Amino acid sequence: MSTTVASMERSFPRAVSGVVAVNTFREAVRDRILYNLIFFALVMIGAAILVGQISIGIERLVIVNLGLSAISIFGLIMAIFIGVSLVSKEIEKRTLYSLLAKPIRRWEFLVGRYGGLLLTLLVNTSLMTLGLAGALFYVSRHFERGDASILFAVYFILLQLALVTALALFFSCFSTPVLSTLYTVGIYVVGIFATDIRDFGQVTKNPAMQVMTRVIYYLLPNFHNFNIISAASHGEAIPFSLIWQNTLYAALYVVVILIAASAVFSGRDLK
Amino acid sequence: MTAAPPVRRAWGLAAAVPVLFAAIAMLQVRIDAETRSIARQPEKLVLSSGPMLKKMSLGYDSLLADIYWTRAVQYYGGKLQDLSRDFRLLPGLLDITTTLDPHLIVAYRFGAIFLSEPPPVGAGRPDLATELVKRGMAANPDDWHLAADLGFLYYWHLKDYANASEAYLEASKNPKAPGMMKIMAARIAQKGGDLDTSIMIWAQYFKSSKDPQVRKTAQDHIEGLQAVKDERAIDALSEKYRSRFGRDPASTKDLREAGMIPGIPVDPSGVPYAIGPDGKSRLGPHSTVRVEVPPKLSNEK
Repeated sequence: MSTTVASMERSFPRAVSGVVAVNTFREAVRDRILYNLIFFALVMIGAAILVGQISIGIERLVIVNLGLSAISIFGLIMAIFIGVSLVSKEIEKRTLYSLLAKPIRRWEFLVGRYGGLLLTLLVNTSLMTLGLAGALFYVSRHFERGDASILFAVYFILLQLALVTALALFFSCFSTPVLSTLYTVGIYVVGIFATDIRDFGQVTKNPAMQVMTRVIYYLLPNFHNFNIISAASHGEAIPFSLIWQNTLYAALYVVVILIAASAVFSGRDLK
Repeated sequence: MTAAPPVRRAWGLAAAVPVLFAAIAMLQVRIDAETRSIARQPEKLVLSSGPMLKKMSLGYDSLLADIYWTRAVQYYGGKLQDLSRDFRLLPGLLDITTTLDPHLIVAYRFGAIFLSEPPPVGAGRPDLATELVKRGMAANPDDWHLAADLGFLYYWHLKDYANASEAYLEASKNPKAPGMMKIMAARIAQKGGDLDTSIMIWAQYFKSSKDPQVRKTAQDHIEGLQAVKDERAIDALSEKYRSRFGRDPASTKDLREAGMIPGIPVDPSGVPYAIGPDGKSRLGPHSTVRVEVPPKLSNEK
């Protein structure tokens, strides 16, 4: 981690998290995280060439579905596996102790680490989106007005990744990387089925169960909200209300998780 | 004994890799030959529930739908080459595909063709095809093509002209649908399955698809129906020739020489029509036109 933190703290206190974020991003680039883009490019090129030969009438659809799904899956893998090591790696390498000896608060460190991974995901997702646009243009030779929905789908994937990263960071504040991964994946999967859990309560006709499943429904992050891949692939218009509601939902949830993570991390005995 | 220098050892290893891969490939050929002799497992869809697959897809249902659609296309294509022509998994694959992505119009449209075409080209199940298209119409009320496809299925495969007319009328209600839909609905209601109506239906089918294979099939049908229409006209002239000369014409040349036609009539593939010993016209021996006349048309006078 860079040693410019102290000087930054003197000149502009809240910029500390920014410095940590930039260094986290540099660290990710140094760790060759962005190499996944090569694999993504190969998948897109393969799909663009192959699908026309083995299927009928879905060349464009496959490019959009495969591209968006790949952006989501690669992003999730990065968010979870890097997210859970954001804190533990620093503790393991003992760099956290020298860092916290500087005028930096623990929550600033956490927010910085979170921001750094988010920046990495943003760069990675943006480059993949460019690749997707290129493959789409190769297949259809033009862009349509409905293709704008693809950008909204990418934005929603980013919101989803922001939420998953926050969860991974939260668990990594008090657990081992392996367990944190399991917890994050578990919450993600359950979050996809949040609506089913609520509906399950309705089916039971048991008032207590209904209340319980409803509480779980509102407590869990509802990842289903962010899935508009199918709509985007069919060029359906995405209502503006859904965009701002999802943005606010993700932002509020991330704030709650980061506050919880800061509370846990601040109270943790690092000796 | 001295150890080989590192560079030589590296080259040795590099040379060994392709040799080992060649051995692996040869082994795989043998394994393939061995497993081919083992009795084949009966075909079965391991996961046959669309809703369950949708849940299991963890949100990537539209991508899974593309995969299942490709699988359906591959299955259909594979069965066309297979002598058994057994399409038993096709309805299930199409059901899963359209459950995973109810807006995948191509799966309803082509799926209906795969299901409705009579064997050996398809499953010969127009009943399942109409069900599939009706599901598509329910999920995509804005798409007039599906209503037109339903009309086509009723008209051509099921000979249910009342429902065919209704389906075309339904398609005509969509503002994006061509005005032809309303005319077709009226014409089917009035004239049922006459030749001109059938040609019009296939012409519309030709226009509504961009797929070269579908357009070729439609074109073949139009040519076949046109040939039937021509043969009937020639037969009518032969009838007149018989009453005038007391014998059947030996060829269309006789009709021309009698001044009944201006030239030698040719079929859509450019081959002259022939007249058989029974005095009935038929396609020339080198004709490439394929005539498939539905029952009602073949009885039509």
